[in-house]
Amino acid sequence: MRRAGWVALAAVLLLFPLSFNNPYYEQLGSLVLLAAISASAWNLIGGFAGQVSVGNAVFFGAGAYMPLLFYKLWQVSPLLGFPAGIAVSLVIAVVIGIPTLRLSGHYFSMATIAVAELIRIVVSNWDFLGAAIGLTGPATPRGWWDLVFRSSNPYYYMFLAVLVTLLAITYAIQRSRFGYDLRASRGGERAARSLVVPVSSYTLYAFMLSATFTSLAGSLYVVKFGFIDPGSGFGILVSINMVLIAALGGAGRLFGPLLGAAILIPLQTETNNLFGGGGTGLTYILYGGIIVLIARFEPGGLFEMWDRLRAKWGSHAA
Amino acid sequence: MLLRAEDVQMDFGGFRALSGASLDIAQGEIIGLIGPNGAGKSTFFNCLVGDLTPSGGRVLLNEHDVTRATPEAHARLGIGRSFQVPATFEDLTILENVMVGAFLRHARVREARAQAQRVLELTGLDALADHKAKSLGTPGRKRLEIARVLATEPKLMLLDEALAGLTPVEVQQAIELVRRIHRSGITLVIVEHVMEVILTLAERVVVFNQGKVIARGTPAEVVNDEAVIDAYLGHSHARRHGKHA
Repeated sequence: MRRAGWVALAAVLLLFPLSFNNPYYEQLGSLVLLAAISASAWNLIGGFAGQVSVGNAVFFGAGAYMPLLFYKLWQVSPLLGFPAGIAVSLVIAVVIGIPTLRLSGHYFSMATIAVAELIRIVVSNWDFLGAAIGLTGPATPRGWWDLVFRSSNPYYYMFLAVLVTLLAITYAIQRSRFGYDLRASRGGERAARSLVVPVSSYTLYAFMLSATFTSLAGSLYVVKFGFIDPGSGFGILVSINMVLIAALGGAGRLFGPLLGAAILIPLQTETNNLFGGGGTGLTYILYGGIIVLIARFEPGGLFEMWDRLRAKWGSHAA
Repeated sequence: MLLRAEDVQMDFGGFRALSGASLDIAQGEIIGLIGPNGAGKSTFFNCLVGDLTPSGGRVLLNEHDVTRATPEAHARLGIGRSFQVPATFEDLTILENVMVGAFLRHARVREARAQAQRVLELTGLDALADHKAKSLGTPGRKRLEIARVLATEPKLMLLDEALAGLTPVEVQQAIELVRRIHRSGITLVIVEHVMEVILTLAERVVVFNQGKVIARGTPAEVVNDEAVIDAYLGHSHARRHGKHA
């Protein structure tokens, strides 16, 4: 991206909540960033390494539950639960990843769905974690460390800082040996191995990094909403959301998930507003429709479409 | 001897795909492996590069036993291979594809990029360095695959039908490329169906049929071999080329 583009993007992201001074848009902005964090984290394993995880909700859920569990057990700041969520997520990533990332085909995807659903069912029936009702955080802040704010703006800037960190790490990875090898693994495992690319270990590292940031997204979600239940933490829609957002913008593209989130989240919010509680099923129809459209017309996402159009215009102009 | 295969056997369940194939490859040679489909040449090829572990026999590289070594270990030791169906990394640029090979000997990105650029110049792909691999046609992909292997700085390159499916003009360009690679000091083993390639390039030819080596020798000796004519070339080929009395 050219320098002017970077400056414009930075200006839009920094000034967005201040420009509207409207709680609805402030909330919407923070939701877009949160979704962009989850989808960018998924992008590391699904986009760059080409291993489609359909169960990243397991890390989101772990990251969401741990801060509130820490609060419930010891009344400490939810912040202390952030690293615990990451630790739990890393253990799960290693346990799922080591046996399945060595296999070819869709075993990895199936394993991630199975583990996420299994954990959702266990959590739904485990009183220690609030069972189907879930867990709640501090209703009134005891200090800044409880991260309870009335306005969405502090959350917006907190999420923006995490997203920028994640994108900076992704950018550095793209330009490192690890990044080139990871993308080569996606392109053809057998050929990559013949060039001594450590496919299994690099894919596992990508999965662990993805788990770390997805867990962080879960922790950020829970400090903003102060509540988590099995459906909103471990539900299949949470995972599908990440895949869909990244695929819409462009899986394997640095800014693909951010673009996808900027389109899909307002669309979801608007359909929810239009149809209210009775329109919950419309979300599924919307997801299904988008999946069909992406798969049929633009499997590379909107960024790839943009590249193609630019090349076409360029050749016409020449 | 750079590479020595001794009495290599390969069984797939009850089926013996390769029964006792042997081959000595000296430094600087170009060796051709030919034979009809299903003769065992690709199986033998895969045993030499570590993709298959032979059921019997040994493979020695510089007198070190590499029979059970992984493909990665073979590459580290200096054996590079291309694939019958080009396995380029489609979403990477041509330069990036070659950089992935260069990382084997150059850990730093800058050094790997410089090595990749040198290889792209050698293989004539430098003008397309920033294009995606998926923008290439079959000849380009085959050339890119060769470039990627070259970037690993191999001592021995095994090319699996790297010239199949090319037009006569492209075959001539590819032959010239293989000669250039050979002149740079790399030993070559070529599995090929295009006899023109084998007759033009190979110094020695090994002929497989039904999992066995049925002939070996110079190209001239092999095309006149009765067993080779019966099993592979056919009498019309021999008559056409005036090789068969």
